[in-house]
Amino acid sequence: MVDLLGGLAKAGHLIITGDPTLYGIVFRSLLFSGVAVILAALWGTPIAMLISLRNFRGKSLVKGFFNSLIAIPTVVLGLVLFLVFSKGGPLGFLGLLYTPAAIIIGEAVLITPILISIMITAIEAVDPEMINLARTLGASESQASIAVLKEALNGVLFSNVASFNRAIAELGVALMVGGNIAGLTDVLTTAISRYTQTNDIALAIALGILLMVIVFAINTFVVLAHKLKVYYTVGRSPQ
Amino acid sequence: MSAIAELENVSKAFDAKMVLYNVNLQVYQGEILALLGPNGSGKSTLLKTLALLTMPSSGQLKFNGELVAANNVERLRQQTTLVFQKTTLFEGSVYDNVAYGLKIRKVPKNQHAELIAQALRIVRLEGFEKRQAKRLSGGEQQRVAIARALVLKTKLLLLDEPTTNLDPKNAQIIEEVIATVNHELETTIVLATHNMFQAQTLPSRIALISNGKITQMGTPAEVFGKLSKNLASFAAVDNTFKGNAMPTLEGTTMVDLGNGFRVEVTEPKIGEISVFVSPQDIILTKTPFQSSARNVFKGKIVEIADLGSLVKLKVDVGRVFTVQVTKRSFKEMTLNLDSEVYIAFKASSVNVL
Amino acid sequence: MQTWQKLIIAATLATIITIAGTAAYFQLSPKRRLIVSTTTSLYDTGLLEQLERDYENKHPDIDLNIISAGTGIAIQQAQNGDADLILVHAPAQELTFLQQGWGLNRKIIAYNYFTIVGPQTDPASIKGKTTNEALQAIVNYGGNLTDQSGQTKIWISRGDNSGTHSKEQSLWRAAGYDYSWVSAQPWYGSVGQDMGATLTLADQKDAYTLSDIGTYLKFEKGGSVSLVALLTQAQSLLNVYSVMAVNQTATANHATHDRINYADAMNFISYLVSPETQQLIENYGKDIYGQSLFFGAVQPLKDNAPQPLVGWLKSTAFFDGSECPIQYRIGYPELYAGEDKIG
Repeated sequence: MVDLLGGLAKAGHLIITGDPTLYGIVFRSLLFSGVAVILAALWGTPIAMLISLRNFRGKSLVKGFFNSLIAIPTVVLGLVLFLVFSKGGPLGFLGLLYTPAAIIIGEAVLITPILISIMITAIEAVDPEMINLARTLGASESQASIAVLKEALNGVLFSNVASFNRAIAELGVALMVGGNIAGLTDVLTTAISRYTQTNDIALAIALGILLMVIVFAINTFVVLAHKLKVYYTVGRSPQ
Repeated sequence: MSAIAELENVSKAFDAKMVLYNVNLQVYQGEILALLGPNGSGKSTLLKTLALLTMPSSGQLKFNGELVAANNVERLRQQTTLVFQKTTLFEGSVYDNVAYGLKIRKVPKNQHAELIAQALRIVRLEGFEKRQAKRLSGGEQQRVAIARALVLKTKLLLLDEPTTNLDPKNAQIIEEVIATVNHELETTIVLATHNMFQAQTLPSRIALISNGKITQMGTPAEVFGKLSKNLASFAAVDNTFKGNAMPTLEGTTMVDLGNGFRVEVTEPKIGEISVFVSPQDIILTKTPFQSSARNVFKGKIVEIADLGSLVKLKVDVGRVFTVQVTKRSFKEMTLNLDSEVYIAFKASSVNVL
Repeated sequence: MQTWQKLIIAATLATIITIAGTAAYFQLSPKRRLIVSTTTSLYDTGLLEQLERDYENKHPDIDLNIISAGTGIAIQQAQNGDADLILVHAPAQELTFLQQGWGLNRKIIAYNYFTIVGPQTDPASIKGKTTNEALQAIVNYGGNLTDQSGQTKIWISRGDNSGTHSKEQSLWRAAGYDYSWVSAQPWYGSVGQDMGATLTLADQKDAYTLSDIGTYLKFEKGGSVSLVALLTQAQSLLNVYSVMAVNQTATANHATHDRINYADAMNFISYLVSPETQQLIENYGKDIYGQSLFFGAVQPLKDNAPQPLVGWLKSTAFFDGSECPIQYRIGYPELYAGEDKIG
């Protein structure tokens, strides 16, 4: 049987000694997921704003579409993207398969529905008069949209954090379009999967621990930052 | 007098529903114009049109002499501002809220503090800058909203039911603010209300609105002088009723509001009149009681609205009356929907319009 | 312009920057990229990582990227032009690959043996038998189990269409069974996962399974499984690894031809068949497991000795009496210089 305690001890050693393979993987995971969230936020935010702030026919259908896309298995998306990025595929000329860009774009596509869905819910929870309020105080249409986004800040932040969590914890896309090439496209999940396969349990456990720590730390940070902000503005009494 | 805003044959439809019909209206420099009408009569839409937040479906809208169109609306909109009926505040401090329009207008940051302090002084919220806006009481929140509009010193200030759902103290402050701003800053104000009293005291002119049309226009004295004819459509205005007045042997007047529902009034009147009872003047009890009040009715609570320190109740006694009680007595009396209650008011409390 | 329009422009720009940045990285990098697609069981032994380090040291201008997948996917990648070179162990599929024109210049580089592993107690008594007899014993043992509910498994299969799985199927057929009949037996379990997971499950169920030697030794040495190797070193269990360059002119999309790094692929093949690399392959894992995980195939084929090994290699992995019939070769005659060309 797998020696859990021994594996844990070795894992602790790897983490403490700053094993370069280990931290290289952690760095790539953070980088790829982080950039993926930035991309998804850039193209997801305007879509979420359009859907939530405008009335049009089939609006609930569009929302339902994004909601159901959340459940798409990562391997299915990974396969589709593999075929798209493959040299024989429609975007093959870009030569992106098995590169960091493929993982970043793949993960950005993967998390776009979750980002949009959460953001729509957050924006729709804002008082519908908010946009008119900003406009009557002199805001242009863009400034008014930004005012609404600011009011939905918690939800907007949450949509980004949830997206990051999904990106960093997903395996299918990173594996299929990244190829888990050592030192180039191997990330936490693909490396955990491989090191489990090759019986390098200590390394797999260490990576697993770090994955949990990262996700936990980021979520805690966001909650704390929010609390601090509230404390800063509310906690201080007048004068 | 020059007009700040002019509406010519303005109609507005939402989907298939007409909300404004051929409205012609001029708002003059320096006046207070009250739009008086029941809920749903089109007052809010008219204000949003004046705020340049919605464009007319047909007709012309001129602001400050310029015809409003898609290419100048964002610029012109900066010279008018609307305070909504439902208080809407941004997350953050009072300061953040009031500063919003200043930031948008790129007013230099070093002037903000002073301008904001001035605006807060006018609405009597001195020193409230750092308070979290959404944690203030309802009346204070509405005053923040007014300060946030005042600080912009727009040519036109629009107020949609600024005192509805407020306790008398806050309502009074706001009425004073309106008068001060108009008088001292010479700000033109358009005010929507369904409060007869407010319409009688504050404005220089009144426009009566019903079903999306302006039915009458003039000074308060003119409008209220011939109000009786139009008041039929004002049934939705709180505690305003139309009836037939008959003198009594005691020298008072009995007004028959129909179906034998009668209200005693001190003013001598005969014939078709309208009456109004201020909600503050109505006493609410759970049991019948002896008092000098001439008008006592038994009924049921049909609606309860929490206004913070006050509770607004609608009591159906054959006619629906709006009554205000303090939160404390509301709790002590353990009132609920459908509770049986008595309302009482003096004959001298009934205003004949 | 509205916010959403600005954001869409920003998003487009950011996407382009990401793509262009990556493209620039690979374009401007002084290194040429060589993508090797291989099977998981070979990659997971760690041999290729050692070869990669050695090769990149000798050729600092090449960045060797190894992708691992099942044999079927490795071939698919080659067809798409996503790999420059494939390193696999499924002769039948390799022949098709050559015949369809996808691959060129095949070289057999190494071999080892599959092994049938099982519990120490060996309840079906297969030790010492031939593969066919052993599988028949397992079928008999399974058929006589008192529990036929499907709870008790005595054979665990990869069940994932990997090279190992297709080897298992051919073994059942050779032993005289219809594979679909075998796989429907209640004592037969299919996991659809990698070798490690299959070994772990077989260990927990006290069942037999077919494994490549590398993965088995790694898991056995690490104490993860207590299964023992019961059948090894038979012709039927021979596992032959070969390498092929992807045919530049035959990939699915003609636009991709010049993106296939054929020259470096051939350079890597020459590296693999060199005596030093063959030695490196043979030494790999000796220090840890006390035995070789792989044996070099180049020298025995050149020497036509020892027997019966060379005979086994040829009957398992030669096509028309050659490791790469002449119509599937372009250039590089030195690769086949010593070959005995008797058809």
